[in-house]
Amino acid sequence: MSGQNVQRLPAEQLFQKEIQALIENEKNPVPTGWQMSPRSVLTYICGGRAGDVEVTPKYIGNKRLVEIAISTLVTDRALLLIGEPGTAKSWLSEHLTAAVNGDSTRVVQGTAGTTEEQIRYSWNYAMLIANGPTKEALIPSPIYRAMEQGMIARVEEISRCASEVQDALISLLSEKRVSVPELGVEVPARKGFSIIATANTRDKGVNDMSAALKRRFNIVVLPSPDSLEAEMEIVRTRVGQLSESLDLNARLPEEEVVEKVCTIFRELRAGATLDGKQKLKPTSGVLSTAEAISLLANSMALAGSFGTGAVTDYDLAAGLQGAIVKEDSKDAKVWEEYLENIMKKRGSRWLSLYRECRELNG
Amino acid sequence: MEREQGREKELKPEGRLKVFGIRHLSPAGAYYVREYLDHIRPEQILIEGPSDFTELIEELGSEEVKPPVAVMAYTTELPIRTILYPFAVYSPEYQAVLWAREHGCPCRFCDLPSEIFLGLSARRQAEKEDGGEPKEGESPLSFVYRRLDEQSDDGDSETFWERTMEHAADAAGYREGAARFGTALRRLSLGYGEDDEETMLREAYMRRAIDEAVKGGIAPEKVVVVTGSFHVEGLLGNGADGGKGEGHGPWAPMTDRQLSRLPRLPAKKTLMPYSYFRLSGRSGYGAGNRAPAYYEFLWEGLCRGEADYAGHRYLATLAGFQREQGNLVSSAEIIEAERLALSLARLHGGRIPTLQDLRDGAVTCMGHGNFGEVAVAVAGTEIGTKIGSLPEGVSQTSIQSDFYRQLGELRLEKYKSVTAQELSLDLRENLKVKSQKAAFMDLERSFFLHRLKVLGIPFAQPQAVRQERATWAERWMLRWTPEAEIHIVEAVLKGDTVEQAASFALKGQAEDGQGIAGIAKVIEEACNCGMPEALDYAVDALQKTAVDAVSVAEIAETSTRLSVVLRYGDIRRLNRDPLVPILSQLFLRACLILPGECACDDPAAKPLAQAMCALHQVSVDHDFLDGGRWQKTLAGIAGRDDLNTRLSGLAAAILLEAGKMDSQELGREVERRLSPGIPAELGAGWFEGLSMKNHYSLIARLNLWEKLNGYLDLLDDQEFKRALVFLRRAFADFTSEEKNQIAENLGEIWQVNPSQVSEVVNGPVSADEIEALGGLDDFDFGDI
Repeated sequence: MSGQNVQRLPAEQLFQKEIQALIENEKNPVPTGWQMSPRSVLTYICGGRAGDVEVTPKYIGNKRLVEIAISTLVTDRALLLIGEPGTAKSWLSEHLTAAVNGDSTRVVQGTAGTTEEQIRYSWNYAMLIANGPTKEALIPSPIYRAMEQGMIARVEEISRCASEVQDALISLLSEKRVSVPELGVEVPARKGFSIIATANTRDKGVNDMSAALKRRFNIVVLPSPDSLEAEMEIVRTRVGQLSESLDLNARLPEEEVVEKVCTIFRELRAGATLDGKQKLKPTSGVLSTAEAISLLANSMALAGSFGTGAVTDYDLAAGLQGAIVKEDSKDAKVWEEYLENIMKKRGSRWLSLYRECRELNG
Repeated sequence: MEREQGREKELKPEGRLKVFGIRHLSPAGAYYVREYLDHIRPEQILIEGPSDFTELIEELGSEEVKPPVAVMAYTTELPIRTILYPFAVYSPEYQAVLWAREHGCPCRFCDLPSEIFLGLSARRQAEKEDGGEPKEGESPLSFVYRRLDEQSDDGDSETFWERTMEHAADAAGYREGAARFGTALRRLSLGYGEDDEETMLREAYMRRAIDEAVKGGIAPEKVVVVTGSFHVEGLLGNGADGGKGEGHGPWAPMTDRQLSRLPRLPAKKTLMPYSYFRLSGRSGYGAGNRAPAYYEFLWEGLCRGEADYAGHRYLATLAGFQREQGNLVSSAEIIEAERLALSLARLHGGRIPTLQDLRDGAVTCMGHGNFGEVAVAVAGTEIGTKIGSLPEGVSQTSIQSDFYRQLGELRLEKYKSVTAQELSLDLRENLKVKSQKAAFMDLERSFFLHRLKVLGIPFAQPQAVRQERATWAERWMLRWTPEAEIHIVEAVLKGDTVEQAASFALKGQAEDGQGIAGIAKVIEEACNCGMPEALDYAVDALQKTAVDAVSVAEIAETSTRLSVVLRYGDIRRLNRDPLVPILSQLFLRACLILPGECACDDPAAKPLAQAMCALHQVSVDHDFLDGGRWQKTLAGIAGRDDLNTRLSGLAAAILLEAGKMDSQELGREVERRLSPGIPAELGAGWFEGLSMKNHYSLIARLNLWEKLNGYLDLLDDQEFKRALVFLRRAFADFTSEEKNQIAENLGEIWQVNPSQVSEVVNGPVSADEIEALGGLDDFDFGDI
């Protein structure tokens, strides 16, 4: 996995310098199996300084929630991050493991098709048939490996897995060992093992989690950004990082553009204008911060490939249309209503964006 | 310690003073102040608090006093101002008082007397009202606290205080830390605020108290002053430099002349029970106490010598609350919550979890990440329901003794319990008993309970009486809560006895009563309370306000209330004569303005119709009212064509009912009203008004129906449709039985079988008819 040709580098490589600096400047006790102290993890996630290296904030929002998440991992409890789509659950989980272990790649990506083998272990069937059950024929799951190494495993989208598969986690988490009856061995988890799971609350095709499983997690609910400024900062930071790694050939969008996108998203999400004076219809899909980020990156790509390199209202309109009108004609109507009732009346600053959007929405 | 002693020698003699800076309501402060007193063994203790409260110290320290309690001072003259000093078991001041009592050490409060506090606050308000520009923005102190919120590692000054001070390991650490905190606060905020002057005065007075003690022959190092940490520097040094300097300069106590120049307001003071609920709601006390019950856990932990006791207790209590509400909480979850809280505390370099850590632990582990799931339990655990109590006879306010005396006299003591009990009263004279007092026992009880109700004391709630209009019966639900005691103490601001206070409250209500109907309500209350004086006062107020009363509806409501008092008031043995003239006056006024008001549209006619019926009832009930004038007024309205026809119809109906209109007259009137040429809606509207009252007498008059029939026959289709709308509405109020009787009438007129007609009138609407009725929807009602 060398070099810059990878579309998206794992967090620990992307922010290698910062992690290194934090480890070098460590002043507090480091828990077993961790590569830095909880305080340094907090600095890594929320930003600060490590020696003479500036640590960029990775999660912008309620710092206390990050503290709770880190403290949970210190107590060897499993951590469950719950939130609406696009509230940086996976993002936070990746960076937590990157900071704690320096390796965020032990992931089970949960889907409706995830099987119990992917949680526990599976077999190399050719070897299994040839030699019978042996240690060599066993293929450990990411969680199995994490237990062996005393590290943190991630389970993404746990609520998308079928309930049987979720159940497999229950005994894993309470006994902290995997038994392999075929080999007659039990693999105990070394100190430092834990799991970070993420779950969606508001989406189609998710399964409810059983109370038994929930009880084995410390649950942290991640909220949508609570102010326009916070959301704008998240978007600005992430778009900057994205454009670097994606070679978008376009200038970063101006402050005004970010503000416009965040305003539109927040208003359509909340079903009311920012000042709370006017009610409006929300769209059927959730307009998350993550979408605002990809929308801007998309607009930058449009501007870079086909335009002047600066994000214009024309590029923006195309992105907005795609992001907002997702499902059906209903969204198109909501969007049109928003354009006519809200955006049109916002004055000259919004006028050209309004024209472009109306053109596209047809 | 050595270093400290060395520094003290360098200072002037006053510097040898032992000042223990605290924060009010601080468990660690309370614990360590005792330790400090044990160490110093003072001969005089001075505590921050109005100096005239000293006389309450003995009672405050008594064993039977269960905190939280408060000392309140209040002005005896209007407008009433109060100052309040609450004490919890973990108040350093309270523990200092206890220590003094246990060790026989003289102990006094040393701040400005409450009379001056109240005087100063009155002066400050007067200055504000005198056009002194109100200062914009936040006060310097709240600015400093806000900055501390932002700067502290925990993001919250309260948590900062808990982590650094409440978890302090020893007395010396606490004393030094508090002094530094207070001094820093002082230097940052003094000199920018409105309260500076008062602060300077208070400290000068406290120095005066210290000076007096030293002059009384006590060595300065044997005087311990327990005061807010903010004042430490002001007492050790001289506050005259605005707190900016190092506290040097001449150490100046307040002189007699300075003292005599301060404004004073005559005041009384009392010890009262207090509650944790109220303590948690008090903001602006400098040291707000958001979680009194949790702070008590902290105090208990200190006394037991277990540093992490509060955490265990907090989570266990919270889990208990959760289970009580039917939420499953396993012991494992409690343990996990505690581990998480501890690990959060360590993240901030603490040894022991703070309240915030514990709460976050509970939310994450017991509430599944949602605060909402544990919100109720959190409130129960942090605030709690504890209420203080005082032994009977200890520093009771006059109103408390009056309350208990009456409770005894009226034999209501057994109702002073936490379980709700019902009390049925029969206000009539009990003829079976001998003494006058016993005969009217229930009446006196009723007066008493009504007075409590007026004062808003939550002891007795009136219940609905089963028998309608049984004015001699009352049902009450009685339930004693310690909260009621607090309300009673607070009622002392209104008067010295329950009756006085109720009278004062009623007068207040009469003064800012909303219109005459509001004042009439006060009159009713005054009558229920059996308070002739308040009744007179309210009647007087009504008299003055009534002159401006212009709305018939309002007059009608007022008259009805007065009428009730007049008719049934004798059960309460009250002289109601003053009500007679005022009711006559109101009634006359109504007669005069009613015809004018009757020229109105239909929506306005509705309340007016009710008012007319109510006024009629009043006129029937009371002979002294001018019944003749009322009839003339009604006849006028009935006969006029330029008023709302419904009201004219109603006037006719009232006259008819009263027997003041005979059949002939009615017949003439019907013919006149229901004649072709008069717009259908006017005619039908009149009929609607007529049928608002006494259906039976209408039904009994066959010729009325003949005329109505004849009228409808004359109408063309278009007019008929218009009339139909009104008639339908008019007949909607008739019962099925009444409709049958109408059908009989019509059957007779049309010479058909009555049951056939009845079937048509009462039967369900057919499809064709629905269509026809649907057509009416499109009908242009114009301005109907």
